[in-house]
Amino acid sequence: MSDQHEVVDLPPTPGERLRNAMKARDVRITMIFGVVITAFFVFIGLWFYPKFMPEIMSESMKRGKDVIVYFTVISAPIAGLVIAIALYTLFDRHHGDTPPEEAASFRTHTPIVFVWTLVSAIFCIVAIVWGLTEMNVNSEDATANAKTALVVEVTGSQWVWTFNYPELGVQSEQLNLPVDRPVEFRVHSVDVNHSFWPVQLGVKVDANDRVTTLAHTTPNVLGTIDIKCAELCGLYHAYMETQGKVMKEADFNSWVTAQGGHVA
Amino acid sequence: MTTLDHAKVSESRPNPPKSLITKLNMGTGMIVGIVFAEVMYFWGKSMWDRQEAVMENRILTLSMFAWCIGFLIGIGAFIGPFRWLIGKDLTDEEQLFLAGKGQGVSRYFRYCTDHKVVGIQYLVGVMVMLGAGGTMAMMIRTNLITPGSKWVNAEIYNSLVGLHGITMIVALIIVSTGPFGNFILPIMIGARDMAFPRLNALSWWLLFTAIPVLCSAWFFGGIPTGWTAYAPLSVQAGGGMNAFIVTIIIFAISSAIAGANITTTVVTMRAKGMKWNRVPIFVIGATISVAMAIPAFPSFMASQMMAAFDRTIGTHFYDAEFGGSGWLYAHLFWIMGHPEVYVILIPGVAILMEIAPVFARSPLFSYTTAVVGLAGIVGLSFLVWAHHMYISGWLPSLNGPFMVTTEMISIPTGLLFLVLLGTIWRGRPWMKLPMLGVYALLWNFLIGGITGIYLSDVPADDYLHGSMFVTAHFHYTLMGAALTGAIAGLAYWFPKMTGRMLDERSGYISFWLVQIGFQVLFLGMFAAGSQGQPRRVADYEQAFATSDLISTIGAYLVGIGMIVLLYSVVHSWRKGKIAPMNPWGAKTLEWTVPYPIYLENFHEAPVVTSDPYGYGRSEK
Ligand code: HEM
Ligand SMILES: [Cu+2]
Ligand SMILES: [Cu+2]
Repeated sequence: MSDQHEVVDLPPTPGERLRNAMKARDVRITMIFGVVITAFFVFIGLWFYPKFMPEIMSESMKRGKDVIVYFTVISAPIAGLVIAIALYTLFDRHHGDTPPEEAASFRTHTPIVFVWTLVSAIFCIVAIVWGLTEMNVNSEDATANAKTALVVEVTGSQWVWTFNYPELGVQSEQLNLPVDRPVEFRVHSVDVNHSFWPVQLGVKVDANDRVTTLAHTTPNVLGTIDIKCAELCGLYHAYMETQGKVMKEADFNSWVTAQGGHVA
Repeated sequence: MTTLDHAKVSESRPNPPKSLITKLNMGTGMIVGIVFAEVMYFWGKSMWDRQEAVMENRILTLSMFAWCIGFLIGIGAFIGPFRWLIGKDLTDEEQLFLAGKGQGVSRYFRYCTDHKVVGIQYLVGVMVMLGAGGTMAMMIRTNLITPGSKWVNAEIYNSLVGLHGITMIVALIIVSTGPFGNFILPIMIGARDMAFPRLNALSWWLLFTAIPVLCSAWFFGGIPTGWTAYAPLSVQAGGGMNAFIVTIIIFAISSAIAGANITTTVVTMRAKGMKWNRVPIFVIGATISVAMAIPAFPSFMASQMMAAFDRTIGTHFYDAEFGGSGWLYAHLFWIMGHPEVYVILIPGVAILMEIAPVFARSPLFSYTTAVVGLAGIVGLSFLVWAHHMYISGWLPSLNGPFMVTTEMISIPTGLLFLVLLGTIWRGRPWMKLPMLGVYALLWNFLIGGITGIYLSDVPADDYLHGSMFVTAHFHYTLMGAALTGAIAGLAYWFPKMTGRMLDERSGYISFWLVQIGFQVLFLGMFAAGSQGQPRRVADYEQAFATSDLISTIGAYLVGIGMIVLLYSVVHSWRKGKIAPMNPWGAKTLEWTVPYPIYLENFHEAPVVTSDPYGYGRSEK
């Protein structure tokens, strides 16, 4: 079996060489492995992340999740190839205290190096273009919604979040949001760095002292949001969390009124 | 013990040097160091009112530096330079003494210039650091075993996270280039010693002085900031932060010295005939790694010096209230930080590229590709630092460009995979411990690399940043790739460094425990991160309980595996099987010298006529 490739006499044209290479037993078995492992990773991508990620309550969250899922799917063939080759070589392993016999000696193979580089460059470009597009959609959404967005000033201080709705005259330690209305978070800190993370909304931005940073999203599902701090900020960093709600417009308005604010 | 050895030396030599040098060792270093630190401390106390934090930090920081300087004086590091100052040099006798001639074990406790001694010193030092860091990791995971476990309080927990992180980072930076870069690398290139043997000793002992400083952080309130030590949190932090700052500054100097030394050695001292395309790939990798640290670490050092100024004399580099900026810190840190992760990774991968041809009995596949891959990584890794700051808000419009450069790293990284796969393809892998590392790396680095691509994508990072997912990603690369490579290297070179074989059975047990435990640990952590658990938290909600429990179980497996490895190393070192000169049938030069290796490695200078990868049937 280990000698299989020896009998292959490489003819000159690249096409024939490729076809012959494909006939080699080790190449075939490796390819079968590769396909199986690729399928496994595709499955992981499609099953694992959706199962383990929290409820998706905004488009930005969906985009982030999609990137993770589809990147897993795209990289599945790479993982499949790498693992298949590694696994296949293990069939012919050698034990004992003396080295095995010498193997084939090929020092390089320019077409393979070339194709490998090309293919990885293509994968890389796909990933880049995908990422840039999604990013662009996010920021276009933000610009489009700039006028209508509900402004929420988020203040991080050791170790609480406070939310201020300047247009509504409300201040709260809970983040309530009306569904389907774009929001603009204006985030800052009054002491060390924090990172504002409304988990189910899929956005995150650091809270820095004396600087305002922005995050945009549009909650589109009713429900509860976990708000966390994603930057180590001292003693009670782990407890710097609170909850929020995405509620119907009417509920939101009555909450605002109950808090002594005015509905625009 | 020292006096005994000293007596032996005097006996064996007609004219023992009476110089001061012979009387100095680690002990005298510690005494002088402690005296210096005490003097500085009490003098500082009398000068400055200790009530204010600034004063306290100033006194502590200066005392820590005083310890380092005192130790180096006490161990005799400055005798040579001092002689130069007064226009003389060490006598030949003294030089030989420094090289450790005929001194037995005591030379490991002295300022010894023999690169082999320095290599062993690094090895033991690294093992101690990994042990300490690992113990802290076990404590961290124990606290996270269930939600609300409160096994340790939040303060201790945060200190554990910070100390674990920085201890491991420092240990991993030197884990390969320290022991193997010093012990093996000069022999591999056919050199008699390093280019600057005294600097070599200096780099180790400088690092050594930093270890007690770092440990002292425990007694001054810990390092509550994580290894990244973000400002302004670090400016606000208590006395332990001074220890972090001093450690980093000392370490930066030490690694600059080591880097200059290794680079010069490789550039100028290769054996006759060892052209650049005949240099073993580990040598290339180690050189690239230390050479990368030379431009990268000053930025780290600067970041810490500015933190020190903020803390000790009240400047405001990082204080927004007075015009400073936390972003400044983050930039300085990551300009070092990203190259640094490759400083860690590259030697580990290079070791495995060295190992793969030997155990697959086939030439390294496409040497040029390997070098191009490594060089590409180096080039790009200086252009990607802000992927750690996507959501910091400093300039969102630059996220796109940084995303492009970051994702481009996957191309040269892919080349490294190609080299390893091409080497083992159609080989008959000899399943010895070092070779297992190659397979472990292929899997672990695959996971680490692919998850790195998610993180480099901004919309995904918006979700994943600051979560356990990031922690899992970089452990796959740091531990799964770099540390795996270093352990494989230890198994591979153990016969050359100790004259004995590393015990196989315990080695295998350890390998499987560590690797399986590792998967359980960090796949669990990927799950926790995907679910939305932030990193560096002392406590978490019920929702993450299963993932965290799984992680902790995995961590214990790793812990047991590492203890087995420690046993294996200690046991084999003392009474392992005596190793033949070339147990693996490898073709690099270090396998042509018998153990114990002569003081200057080779009796006859070797001449190199081909690269060391002439394995395979048709070649001799
Ligand atoms: C294909 C290669 C890689 C890519 C694209 C990549 C990408 C990234 C990105 C984007 C982050 C930032 C995540 C965040 O904080 O939100 C990150 C974090 C990190 N990566 Fe990688 N990475 C790669 C390989 C590596 C390697 C080889 C190492 C180390 C040997 C490494 C070590 C780290 C570390 C230590 C961190 C986290 C630092 C911290 O915040 O404490 N990465 N990586
Ligand atoms: Cu926090
Ligand atoms: Cu990075």
